[in-house]
Amino acid sequence: MKRDFFRKVGFGIAPGESVPTDPLAWAQAQMDAVPDLSWKGDIPTGEALMDHYAHWVYTDRKVLRKKHKKDRKAYKAAKEQLRYETGERFFENLELAIRHDAALNSGAPVFERLWFFWANHFAITDKDFMPEFTTGAYHRDVLRQHMTGSFVDLTKAATTSWAMIHNLDNSESIGPNSENGRRRRERGKVATVNENHARELMELHTVSPAAGYTQDDVIALSYVMAGWEHKHTKKRQECNPVHFNQRNHQPGTHTVLGKQYKQRGLNSSNKLLDAIEDLCAHPDCRRFIALKLCRHFICDQPTDAMMQPIILAWEDSDGDLPTVHKALLQVAWDYTGIEQKFQNPEVWFLQMVNMAGMAWPPSPKTMTYTFKNKPRRDQRKPESMLRELGLLPYRPPQPNGFSDMSSDWLSPELLIRRLAFSSESGTRISANLDFDALIDSNFDNADEIKAYLSPFTTRFGRAETLFPSYWMLMA
Amino acid sequence: MTITRREFIAGVGSITLLASPVFNVRAAGLQKRNLVIIMLRGGMDGLTAVPPRDKRLNSARPDILVKKTQKLTSDFDLHPSLETFHELWKAGQAGVVHATNIPYTKRSHFEGQNLMESGGHVPYGESTGWLGRGLEAAELGGLAISLPMPLLLRGKVVQDNFYPTHMSMPHKPELMTIAGSYPEGSALRKAMEKVISRPKSMMQQSNSNDAADLADTAATELARADGPRVAVFDLDGFDTHAAQGGDDGAHGEKLSDYDEIINRLRDGLGDAFDNTLILTLTEFGRKLDQNGGYGTEHGYGTAIMMAGGLVKQTIHADWPGLKSKELFEGQDLNATIDARAVYCSAMAACFDVDFAYMRKHTFWDEPLPDLTDALFKV
Repeated sequence: MKRDFFRKVGFGIAPGESVPTDPLAWAQAQMDAVPDLSWKGDIPTGEALMDHYAHWVYTDRKVLRKKHKKDRKAYKAAKEQLRYETGERFFENLELAIRHDAALNSGAPVFERLWFFWANHFAITDKDFMPEFTTGAYHRDVLRQHMTGSFVDLTKAATTSWAMIHNLDNSESIGPNSENGRRRRERGKVATVNENHARELMELHTVSPAAGYTQDDVIALSYVMAGWEHKHTKKRQECNPVHFNQRNHQPGTHTVLGKQYKQRGLNSSNKLLDAIEDLCAHPDCRRFIALKLCRHFICDQPTDAMMQPIILAWEDSDGDLPTVHKALLQVAWDYTGIEQKFQNPEVWFLQMVNMAGMAWPPSPKTMTYTFKNKPRRDQRKPESMLRELGLLPYRPPQPNGFSDMSSDWLSPELLIRRLAFSSESGTRISANLDFDALIDSNFDNADEIKAYLSPFTTRFGRAETLFPSYWMLMA
Repeated sequence: MTITRREFIAGVGSITLLASPVFNVRAAGLQKRNLVIIMLRGGMDGLTAVPPRDKRLNSARPDILVKKTQKLTSDFDLHPSLETFHELWKAGQAGVVHATNIPYTKRSHFEGQNLMESGGHVPYGESTGWLGRGLEAAELGGLAISLPMPLLLRGKVVQDNFYPTHMSMPHKPELMTIAGSYPEGSALRKAMEKVISRPKSMMQQSNSNDAADLADTAATELARADGPRVAVFDLDGFDTHAAQGGDDGAHGEKLSDYDEIINRLRDGLGDAFDNTLILTLTEFGRKLDQNGGYGTEHGYGTAIMMAGGLVKQTIHADWPGLKSKELFEGQDLNATIDARAVYCSAMAACFDVDFAYMRKHTFWDEPLPDLTDALFKV
């Protein structure tokens, strides 16, 4: 029946869960609507988190540093207290709990796997205090909400989000001939664009280097983007919404990959949105996304035969994401049992937790925070655990996100983490867990796996040998 | 036996220790020379780290000029954050290769870093790294301290790595059973074989999560006569499009992180520092002109910083100049030395093999000049 499929595109089958009789239809049916987040506790809004962020940076930079200018120890103590007041040590853990709860309990695990995928595609790096206050909410509010629309709308939303604008420095970009640029130069100051965001918009988010863009294209797209920024104010520092500031925008018509962008209407904000339309419609964009989807779900080196149905679905639907996702799932189904993918540490961990019915994430009650003291150890567990495993989803070191290549997840030490987590899982699973049922629901080679486990009679021995086994690591 | 190891987490980056003679025969007969690589990710600015004395910098970078410099030569100064490096320079144990880069000009971090580690010309075209190939050619085995295995160290042989944890592992019979589920010859099986054959000496403990302390551990291991021969550090954060700063600021802070690593290595290595070579890698330098956000954009030519007892006190450069017609694409310090010549020379010096042999086995016999005598005391 190709039971590997439940792990290839999901988190496996939980104890007591009935096995879908038509797995492909089950998976595809999850693509049409954004499931509600299953977390029963508090889910702070992006705005509320931004208020915490603003309070944190303003108070630290403008109040505490001045107040305790001469007393380093007092400054450190006051700053520590501010961490608790603003939830600086807490929210990343809460976001991880919300993320993992969705994976395990939203009822649409395949949708959640794709959510993880897009969160990593439009990656926000570990910069400033974004993992603490921003990235989780950006995944929930900006990316997740656009997963049932078109790729171009998702890209527009990600590109103009506070998270991406701030992460890739676009607020620092000033068109040299813009109103502010000319004024700055008259005063002998430098006024240039910041190329960071424009480059990654092409390289990582849309067309990829395969499109053959040049440095001139990067600069032209930086001109197109100049003016998309967040204000910097005294009371909120950089924590203000993104807007388009015509006075920093480079006037004129700019040519990117042979296409011209000029102002339509009262300001030039349309230029970026027009450019995103063209980038997303570029053949190298759909090819690049198809490659990344296949690489994430099917194998390290996807073939044209795998990518082609996804590219065709994209062309037929103008990049409608549910259509593209369904095409991917069809390919994943076709290749289940033929191609296997080494599961990354977070996905593997969630599969283990789900299949063994372990209590995870911490409960909403545990994650109720008082904003007075340091979060307790049990409240910091999500972050400390994922750090140990080697994948903190809100902290990719670079804007290309976490790798989907097996070789980047395969080292003796990373294997030791799988072994250690499997070993410890024995203490966290129910004494009544029916291993035979677990194996029957999730694997096609149930007899082989049962024979493999037969020397081990306790749940400890069975857990620590089953979870790091080849059949569990690959799907 | 349950193996317990204590927590040991890197804050800033990770280290990789390589080529433990525990695993190989050839190393036993060699004088032990240590090669330490510090990868500076994001594009380290050679003009900030080792600024030339050229007035064009003043006009190109009015807001991010490095002012409180330390003197190296009549032509070049040093960033004030690089205090240890300056001490080593004065002691004749530090040098610089300037106006250098890998042969890659397209300004993408990810392609650039891939090539800086693979040593090739086509991004993502190689599945092995130049150090991994060099170790194989020198018949040295390896051990890494970092969670993932950096491309730089990958070769046909699966290298070992090490990164402590406080968690417990399954017992040996269980490990053997698990290994049996991995296909013979697969990368997983090879990684598992490394885990199973671990000597007790690798069950090292630390309760520190400070990156500089990780450097202490690396130094202790490298200093042991039968310890590893190669270490790789990974530092990111050099991509200063904004708030790069001059004397202070983001780039200076990152240089300071680098400086602290060489400081700890010098202290921890003791006498072994005399037989050590510490080399920096980065994917490209940064543009000459500052941008409007007090930062700089992706550039081309940059500097390689070299420290340790094996290094000659030299600034090795074929200086291209900073006039606009001398700049690469009219915007960057040009690169006149292929950085791979430095990498290859460093391996030849540290692994005690002929330069031509190393070049053949790591860089496909490309015409890279032998810089061993110019740069190193071997």
